[in-house]
Amino acid sequence: MIRPMGESPKIGVYVCHCGLNIDGSLDCEAVARFASALDGVVLARDTLYTCSDPGQEMIKNDIREHGLNRVVVASCTPRLHEPTFRAACTAAGLNPYLLEMANIREHCSWVHLHDRKGATEKAKDLVKMAVARVKLLEPQVETEVPIMRKALVVGGGVAGIQSSLDLADSGYKVYLVEKEASIGGRMAQIDKTFPTMDCSICILAPKMSEVGRHPNIELLTLSEVESVEGYIGNFRIRVRKDPRYVSKECTSCGDCTHDCPQHMPNEFDLGLSTRKAIYSPFAQAVPATYVIDMNACLNKYGIVACDKCSQSCRHKCIDFSQQQEVFELEVGTVIVCTGSDVYDPTSLTELGYGRFPNVITSLEFERLINAAGPTGGHLIRPSDKTVPKRVAFLQCIGSRSKRANPYCSNICCMNTVKDALLIREHWPDTKIYVFYIDIRAFGKGFEDLFQRARREGVSFIRGIPGEIIQDVRTGNLKLIGENTLLSQLYQYEVDMAILSVGIEPRKDSAVVKRLLSLPSMADGFFMEAHPKLRPVDTPTGGIFLAGCAEGPKDIKDSVTQASAAASRANILMSKGKVTVEAITARIDPDVCTGCGACAKVCPYGAILVDNERKRAQVVEAACAGCGTCSPECAFGAITMRHFSDAQILAQIDALAENGARRKILAFCCNWCSYAGADFAGVSRIQYPAEIRIIRTMCSGRVNPRFVEHAFSKGIAAVLVSGCHPGDCHYINANLQTDKRVQRLWKRMTRLGLDKDRLRLAWISAAEGMRFSQEISAMKEIVERLTDDEIQRGIEAFDGKERHSSKEEGA
Amino acid sequence: MKTPDLFDEELLYECYQCARCTGSCPAALAVEGFNPRNILLKCLRLGVEAAITDEKLWCCTTCHVCEDRCPQIIDVTDLLMTIMNEAAKKGYIPDKVKASTEMILHTGRVLLVSKRVALLRKRLGLKPLRPVSVEEVEGILEKTGLAVLMG
Amino acid sequence: MNYAFFMGCLIPVKYPGFESATREVAQALDIELADLEFSCCPSPTVIKLVHYDSWLALAARNLCMAEEQGLNILTMCNGCTNTLKEANLVLKKEPALRKKVNETLRPWGREFKGEIEVKHLLDVLCEDVGLLAISKRVKRHFPFRLAIHYGCHFYRPPRIMYPDRLSPSKSLVPTQMDDVLAAVGMNIVPYSRRLLCCGSALGTKVDIEAANEIAREKLGHMADRQVQAISVGCPSCFEQFDRAQVLLRNKHGQDFGMPVFYISQLLGLAFDIDREKLGFSEHRIKVEPLLDGQARQS
Repeated sequence: MIRPMGESPKIGVYVCHCGLNIDGSLDCEAVARFASALDGVVLARDTLYTCSDPGQEMIKNDIREHGLNRVVVASCTPRLHEPTFRAACTAAGLNPYLLEMANIREHCSWVHLHDRKGATEKAKDLVKMAVARVKLLEPQVETEVPIMRKALVVGGGVAGIQSSLDLADSGYKVYLVEKEASIGGRMAQIDKTFPTMDCSICILAPKMSEVGRHPNIELLTLSEVESVEGYIGNFRIRVRKDPRYVSKECTSCGDCTHDCPQHMPNEFDLGLSTRKAIYSPFAQAVPATYVIDMNACLNKYGIVACDKCSQSCRHKCIDFSQQQEVFELEVGTVIVCTGSDVYDPTSLTELGYGRFPNVITSLEFERLINAAGPTGGHLIRPSDKTVPKRVAFLQCIGSRSKRANPYCSNICCMNTVKDALLIREHWPDTKIYVFYIDIRAFGKGFEDLFQRARREGVSFIRGIPGEIIQDVRTGNLKLIGENTLLSQLYQYEVDMAILSVGIEPRKDSAVVKRLLSLPSMADGFFMEAHPKLRPVDTPTGGIFLAGCAEGPKDIKDSVTQASAAASRANILMSKGKVTVEAITARIDPDVCTGCGACAKVCPYGAILVDNERKRAQVVEAACAGCGTCSPECAFGAITMRHFSDAQILAQIDALAENGARRKILAFCCNWCSYAGADFAGVSRIQYPAEIRIIRTMCSGRVNPRFVEHAFSKGIAAVLVSGCHPGDCHYINANLQTDKRVQRLWKRMTRLGLDKDRLRLAWISAAEGMRFSQEISAMKEIVERLTDDEIQRGIEAFDGKERHSSKEEGA
Repeated sequence: MKTPDLFDEELLYECYQCARCTGSCPAALAVEGFNPRNILLKCLRLGVEAAITDEKLWCCTTCHVCEDRCPQIIDVTDLLMTIMNEAAKKGYIPDKVKASTEMILHTGRVLLVSKRVALLRKRLGLKPLRPVSVEEVEGILEKTGLAVLMG
Repeated sequence: MNYAFFMGCLIPVKYPGFESATREVAQALDIELADLEFSCCPSPTVIKLVHYDSWLALAARNLCMAEEQGLNILTMCNGCTNTLKEANLVLKKEPALRKKVNETLRPWGREFKGEIEVKHLLDVLCEDVGLLAISKRVKRHFPFRLAIHYGCHFYRPPRIMYPDRLSPSKSLVPTQMDDVLAAVGMNIVPYSRRLLCCGSALGTKVDIEAANEIAREKLGHMADRQVQAISVGCPSCFEQFDRAQVLLRNKHGQDFGMPVFYISQLLGLAFDIDREKLGFSEHRIKVEPLLDGQARQS
């Protein structure tokens, strides 16, 4: 039941204590009292846990009993509980778009822990702004968009395989796109798994076969995603498939390889063995069809100079004329499983990797002891092919290091324990040393395995070697370091040293990142929507993560995440439709002149201009609601639903009413900067309390006249903050932000104003620290501003606001 | 814990005692009981005062290999230098170091040209060394406070 | 190419042969060297550890003297290079320190402006002279197995000594001496722990016997590869290897028998400069047995 618009606002304000999270650093009761005195507010309460069932019940009762037609909840970030409170409103018969939230936790109580007065004043301001906005909110109806019941899985490692199978078994069509010639990923390369000591490929191969023959899975190997368009439920993906030059009739007999004259290093064996130009990646490869590596093959540019393989092939399945193919796929959901690479320890020159043949990485070791590997599973060392009698493992190579990757790579400790036990099992006379800093054995069965290793006589020495040197005559290695538990220097001579290298996101995942506009942390792993509650969702609807693409993890966790991601995708696709948030753009046909300026800046091409009737129209299903078009319109014809100009200006006015001179106004985009400010809050990073944030979906929504209005009201400084260039959630809308701010700076300089009062910052969702540093820097600017400066700003922009800064000689 | 301005004490918290520094250290190799990792830990937990009295402290050759290998990029050599500066203030300076310092204070050089060397230089066709303005050097070092430190 | 010649304390007083060799080589390569009234740099292994401010002030004074003549500084010793480069960088980057130091130096009319660069002889040879010019002047080849010891203060810490080549991930490994000596045809032999310190500073400050243990470690690895001679770019490293061999011979009966050469002396030999001018008389491990059995016309 939607309340008629004619009614005067009856606002209910709820100030949440959130236990002590909010009430511990600001006075919630005072904020509620302050709110109750605001115009339009019928009741104001401070509650302990507003999001709890009793809390929600209270809101619903108040709506019914007091006839509330607007609700303000001052609590945590709307990115967490806006859906919760919207649902409560809906249940009580109030349109969910008549709810506004004031972020007094992540943006206030958590970041001003030691400034109770400042935090309370700020909370009051934020509630005031929320009340001002909520008065102008209008009821909205969400449109429904159909969701295609097809999914794209990017990456065919164990995570990609698992999610493909889960979705395919649920009845959805799945496109599994894999860059290499076979699926399997890292799990196919390792020998045994921990803690069960299962043969890795043995447990993976059946799943791989299932993928290969599943009627619902279309497997595209040697394929990469080239472009992504569209939105949740309706993605249009272009996939490029490179040719194998071998057709499906291939029976994997292997006759072709005998006569091929070209040898290449075998990538699957990490260069420890060779393969021919025509080859199968490994014995259990899916698809089993052989493939020709054109970089190695003598035939190039369509000229067949050598046809030895063709001659040997009895099934005549070699076809040099195969071409690259391009597929246009339409899917409803995407799961990203791009996996990991290992750290290259060549940069750690003191360890001798790359110079000393007997210093190898843990992944190379996996291939050495693998029965299908270059030595048939015999543990022999590279320099002279003898069996090593003394083996050392060095932990934390390339991990926990500012010189390499700062994080812990999760699996290396257990991998080494497993490898040590494997060596013990087959070559019981071997002396094994593990040099460590901490042993992380946190998972199920891990501690047991670690204990087993110790009981089996593996020596754990705390203290990583400073240096490895080689005896040229024997190839033996000497590890020089300090045993910290004994405070004694050591020099161990061993036959082989294995560097437990850390794992990194795949180098080419940066391409996928750009195509799908996914945020990532500084270390390159993709960022999840919420680290605890939405661990496999990305901030973009319809795109999910699984496996090492999200962070270093073992097989169990990858499989768990893969099934989780499939389940999340299933939720969307089973409903068959998704509601689009009612924040799209609307063009008033009476005001529009059909100039087309808006269409030019729309990142989605969602505005169509009719040149004959001189009108522009928004294609609602394609509109993402970024708001970049609105500031572009010189005639004010575009209204952004739920983020209108009037609503934003009302927030600015509420903010500027008292003490504007000391305040910093920040426009933060929902996906990056607002989330970054949330992250600062979650991390309890402290910064000055002078700042007030206004949320927009995109920094492109920020009309220069908002900034001018703020200065005309005497606000000291304004920050416009959005996603990093290239990372904009709305593809490239932030380019417009950049242009508009540049133009504003020019104007300010011309008008004799200090252009430092307006700052532009690109802050991502992971950059909580950077956000706080921006605010601290801005506070310094505010402190040195003279009253004169403020007054000049007021006079310069008072009454001179325009609809768009396009008229200012753009 | 307070350390003087020469070293950023925030860095000390980054150390997780991996021992790559001591493992690479030439002085640790040669001197029983000299241990940069341990000195850092003492500094962190007990303060600079505890590290000053370490009699082996001055064994550091300032080769900087510790900070080259440290995964957390901690300037271990600078830390040791800072502690040695503090130790000097309290009067803990090895004899040889004191003697060299006093030589610089009073002559501007660590070594003076002897008669034999003067002859050798002549034989090699080298001009006599240009003199150092002792007055200026002493003056500067009095201003910086070294003269007072040396007593 | 004109440089302010910073000789340091040890070379002109203890090993003037290095100075002489450097002057000869400089002349052969058209490098002009100006002699100024420099004091001790001061040493990074002595005064810096006692009183940082004094160290900085004296170093600044030396830099000012070169600035006043508008000349870059050419150094012959790793320690001097380390001190002067660090002081130069720190004073250029930290306005507060610069102000303080200039205040100290003002009574003597000196002011640090940050206008010059400091370069070790090896960098001057590689960057300003060029390997081609060096190789053109080679007249003799010496086939003895030569080990290169860069020493620590030459390039560590890289964030101060070679900030342009700094990489967060890769340890800087110097190549200048390898390049220069390869250009004159020397037979450079690799050995383990090549970048380990010689231990000199430990000896001069505290305990010469302990310092010799470090030298012994290095000499041992060199001996493993049948090294016949050692090349250094610093008089402290020179003294350490030269003297340690004598002391180790006396104490342990170990005779490594590897003469130590300063880089200019090797260049001097390759350019066939009069040996008298290269000052081998001060070497404790005599060079003649090696050189006389080894010289080969090029």
